Amino acid sequence: MRSSGRSSLLALGDKYRIYILFVVVFAVMSLTAPKFFNVLNFTAIFNAVTMNATVAIGFTVVMICGQLDLSIGSVISFAGVLTMGLQPVLGFAGSIAVAVAGGALVGLFNGLLVTKAKINSFIVTLGTMTILQGSIYQFSGGNSISVTTDEVFKISDFLSKNIVPLITPQVLLTIVLVLVVEFVLRRTRVGRNFYIVGGNRTTAWLAGVPTDNYLNSAFVLSGVTAAIGGVVSVLVSTAATLKLGENSLMYVISATIIGGTAMSGGKGGVLRSVVAIMTLEMLYTGIILFGLGNEVKIFLAGLILAYVVLYEAYAVYRHEKALGQRPELMKELAERASAARSRKSAGA
Amino acid sequence: MGEPVSGYALEMRHVGKRFPGTIAVDDVSFEVRAGEVHALVGENGAGKSTLMKILAGSFDDYTGEIAIGGRVVLLHSPTLAKHHGVGMIYQELSLARPISITENLLAGRLPRRGPLLDRPRARAQAKELLAFVGLDLDPNLPIEDISQHEAQLVEIAKVLGNRPSILVMDEPTSALSREEVERLFAIIGDLKRRGIAIVYISHHLPEIFRIADRVTVMRDGKKIDTRLVAEVSREEIVQMMVGRSVKEFYRRDERAIGEVRLRVRGLSRFGFFHGATFEARRGEILGICGLSGAGRTELARVLTGLDRADEGSIELDGKPVRGSTMADFLEQGISYLTEDRKTEGLAIRLPVEDNVLSAIVDRLSSAGVYSRARGKPAVERLIGELSIYPPDPSRTVGNLSGGNQQKVLLAKWLASEPRVLILDEPTRGVDIGAKITIHTSIEKLAREGCTVLLISSDLPELVGLCDRVMIMRKGHLIREMQYSECTEESLLLAANGEGAAS
Amino acid sequence: MSGTSPAGAPAAHPQRPGGADSRALRTGSFSSIVNTAGVYAIAVLFLLLGSVLQLTGAIGNFLSPQNLLNIVDAVALVGIVAVGMAFVTYSGNYADLSVPTTMGFTGYICIELLRYNFAVALAGALAVGLLIGVFNGFVVGRFKANPIIWTLAVNYVTMGVIRLVWVNKQIYPDMVGSQQHAVALFDAIYRLRFFNLIGLPLVILIVLVVVGQFVLARTSFGVKLKLTGSSPRAAKLSGIAVERAVMWSFVLVAFTATIAGLAVTSLSRVGAWYNGAGYDFKAVTAVVIGGMTLAGGRGTIFGVLGGSLIIGILNNIMTLLGIGTFSQDMVRGAIFIVVVGINALSLRRMGRDDA
Repeated sequence: MRSSGRSSLLALGDKYRIYILFVVVFAVMSLTAPKFFNVLNFTAIFNAVTMNATVAIGFTVVMICGQLDLSIGSVISFAGVLTMGLQPVLGFAGSIAVAVAGGALVGLFNGLLVTKAKINSFIVTLGTMTILQGSIYQFSGGNSISVTTDEVFKISDFLSKNIVPLITPQVLLTIVLVLVVEFVLRRTRVGRNFYIVGGNRTTAWLAGVPTDNYLNSAFVLSGVTAAIGGVVSVLVSTAATLKLGENSLMYVISATIIGGTAMSGGKGGVLRSVVAIMTLEMLYTGIILFGLGNEVKIFLAGLILAYVVLYEAYAVYRHEKALGQRPELMKELAERASAARSRKSAGA
Repeated sequence: MGEPVSGYALEMRHVGKRFPGTIAVDDVSFEVRAGEVHALVGENGAGKSTLMKILAGSFDDYTGEIAIGGRVVLLHSPTLAKHHGVGMIYQELSLARPISITENLLAGRLPRRGPLLDRPRARAQAKELLAFVGLDLDPNLPIEDISQHEAQLVEIAKVLGNRPSILVMDEPTSALSREEVERLFAIIGDLKRRGIAIVYISHHLPEIFRIADRVTVMRDGKKIDTRLVAEVSREEIVQMMVGRSVKEFYRRDERAIGEVRLRVRGLSRFGFFHGATFEARRGEILGICGLSGAGRTELARVLTGLDRADEGSIELDGKPVRGSTMADFLEQGISYLTEDRKTEGLAIRLPVEDNVLSAIVDRLSSAGVYSRARGKPAVERLIGELSIYPPDPSRTVGNLSGGNQQKVLLAKWLASEPRVLILDEPTRGVDIGAKITIHTSIEKLAREGCTVLLISSDLPELVGLCDRVMIMRKGHLIREMQYSECTEESLLLAANGEGAAS
Repeated sequence: MSGTSPAGAPAAHPQRPGGADSRALRTGSFSSIVNTAGVYAIAVLFLLLGSVLQLTGAIGNFLSPQNLLNIVDAVALVGIVAVGMAFVTYSGNYADLSVPTTMGFTGYICIELLRYNFAVALAGALAVGLLIGVFNGFVVGRFKANPIIWTLAVNYVTMGVIRLVWVNKQIYPDMVGSQQHAVALFDAIYRLRFFNLIGLPLVILIVLVVVGQFVLARTSFGVKLKLTGSSPRAAKLSGIAVERAVMWSFVLVAFTATIAGLAVTSLSRVGAWYNGAGYDFKAVTAVVIGGMTLAGGRGTIFGVLGGSLIIGILNNIMTLLGIGTFSQDMVRGAIFIVVVGINALSLRRMGRDDA
């Protein structure tokens, strides 16, 4: 807490910072990057972003609860591989159902280990990530799986065809999911309870909120949205590559934190995370359009994540230092300083 | 939940609570009427905190009966206590920092309209609760954006939101300025008019005389008496809190007090304490007395090198203290026994031996190689000297009783052979046997020439051990009292800002 | 509280700690020894398992000298990293996930500098590795960033650097411009064998284990690290420079990662960004199996060696059984979670907060 109240203008800035950043990056890129400001590019950005945006939905909820889910990248690939790999046996309806259920199960597993065995979430999800990676490669035999039936191409076409300029069904699905979850988070009691669980678990528990259930639900949601992200992605590309979710973790963590969700929990929002993902994607696209290679993009992405983590840690460090100051003593100091100043000017 | 059936809103009859090794609350009976402010006073360790914890539902094994509104209830969990109308306001706030005021106030019971939140109604309810504590804030502000004082008021509003019939306030004014205290009293007045029974725990006698109707004094886990505030004097209360004078208990051997060893001038850490100036001599035990929040621990932390001073100087044996880290200060002979033994003083998962040697690791090493063997004799000696039980250096500290843990902590700092030893509440939560051992050890240390600074809220301890006592209040050292002036009454009054020359 | 005994009374009879369990777990060196012995017992158990499987014909030549040598070689690589990782875990900072790219990156640097001579190449690689360690140690030690997230971020950044500088290419030691002599020495890192049997990595491992154990158990640094891992706050308030201790632990893991990276690069004879893949997790698993808790302050390097042995033997058995490498990953991940979970639950039952 501050020793004096903050102006609400600053507080507002915190919340809407990412939107401002979005506009700034958009403006800069449009003005400077060649071929940026056109519908084709925007469509490409939208589509590139859908997978990570979908994943970010569940991931943000987990972070709002004060936890981390490092397994999302491997859940994406896992779901993709299951969708394509099981299609010959179960048909798409079946394989998609299995993929999403698989994501939910992984999430439940993560949640239970965190709530019942009380292991740190990043340790748990590190473990599940490794297990999933192994199973993905094992299942697919190390190759990407593709399906080449007519059906799959029809699905892919459908998903990638513009309904309106810029919006394909793929994008629409993501938008709908984002809006629904954001709505629940902001406008329902259940949604607000996630924030309290992350803000102060004891307070939430004492207020009668079943904190374990909320944590488990958050992890399940994370698993499900990661799975959906993977499923849609492979349906569009008609092939499940094993490296599908490789860089997702990095993008999603950076975007979520930049968007205003803190690792300590209790604040943030899904819409903000998604806007952050789009902002980052615009940045990366701009880099490519400038002629710099993919490598620059990855390097920059890593740099941004490192900066974001450092920034948050430093903010906590600074806060701890000032804890416990007495306001009237600070006032005394201010009075002393102004008295000294007036004496000085009087003597000068 | 609200209306008392019998005359009393709260009745505690023959309530007791034991812990392994001590009886914290011993057959206490007291009652509070609706609309009454009933002060509960007593020294640290008198049992009042435990008594209130019982009321808060923290234990399921207390003895005796508790009746709320005339009906006997079982307060075996915090949820039950809340359900029966008990509201607790502690010094440590239980708010969620990043969450808005509204959602903290209405946690778990945000109003709904159908499946959706009824935001206007939530806001209105929040404003209503805030208005009652006199706050006119935007309820959408997160707690981390408001001041500490405002947050405390929000905490009160939150507890009030559960419509308690009994409200317990534990040291509510220790961090407040004068205006803020006035505000709080106004709120308490309102609460009285609403018929809520208030238990007010405090050390501040002037406040009690302003705000309370009756006062109950506890000592050593027992209730001493309950009196009408209008019919009792300050001195009588202090007398009851403190019992008979204890100077006879502490035998004072002749101790030679030598030349000035520690000289502190104008020491300040902005916002925590300002302008500390004093001297301490060889062989002297100098007490630092003050109410909680006065700044004593902050002063100790600067004297020991943990925190940096913003201005002022510290001189040891005539020379300014070199270096800026705790290790530097430690090397020059200043050691600090911390207030909290469980998380700050000891590594609770490690054995006694490791803990005792944990401050002198470098001294026991040559060229980086650590010699545990070199430290063993000291460990054995200290275990014997302090009668640490069980006398087993490999026993995990976490498995020892509170008193023995404290002895291990003391052993650790004795092992550092300090020239100046700062003790912060060295006998808090410690049984009487361990307490005596620790006191004997402190005296011995002083006799051997060490300068001891004793920070304590235990008045008999200060009176019995110290040669002089400095009074600290709200960040300033306000006066110094010689042994002859020190009685528990005079110390307590001085700490409250009263007395001869406050 | 107030005086009840007359003046001059002797110290009261020592209180019996009510409720303290006299059968309480004795920690300290005895339990560490038992713990470490237990780990080796399990390793021996796995050896027996392998032998039994061979006897029953389930697998091929388990006990052949060649196979045992293979096991040892694999153990050496993981073990080297694990010794360094152990210091990070011991200090209470869980793990360093930037190890894979540190390994790959230093491999690249070394090969690039082979054009001058071997000593320069070696020094250059070590310098880069140590720099990474210092950087990590500073951020985690001073600013208390979450070590897992931070080192993960560093891993990505280093990966980005690798791809940026070498533009996705792999480089070979015997490319144009490298000194032949230097290249031969580089090759030898992995291939040098004493008595035709013991590879250089194994020798390095043994040295590291002996030195590491000594440092952990017998130096002031080790003691300070133990206190830091057990209770960082109490350590700080005992005058211990906690930040510096944490810094050194990250430098150590970067150092061992560099050595392992050079060995792996020497083995594969190519500088590639994937050279270190998976070593972070393998090392952490070895550390955890070897008896160190993730909460810090407990465990021995000998235990970590035992953990590496178990992993190496287990891997070998799985390979001989025909289980694919990726399934092995799954098994390792599962074992990790199981071990961590057991640790957490059993210590919780004893009333302590560990994971």
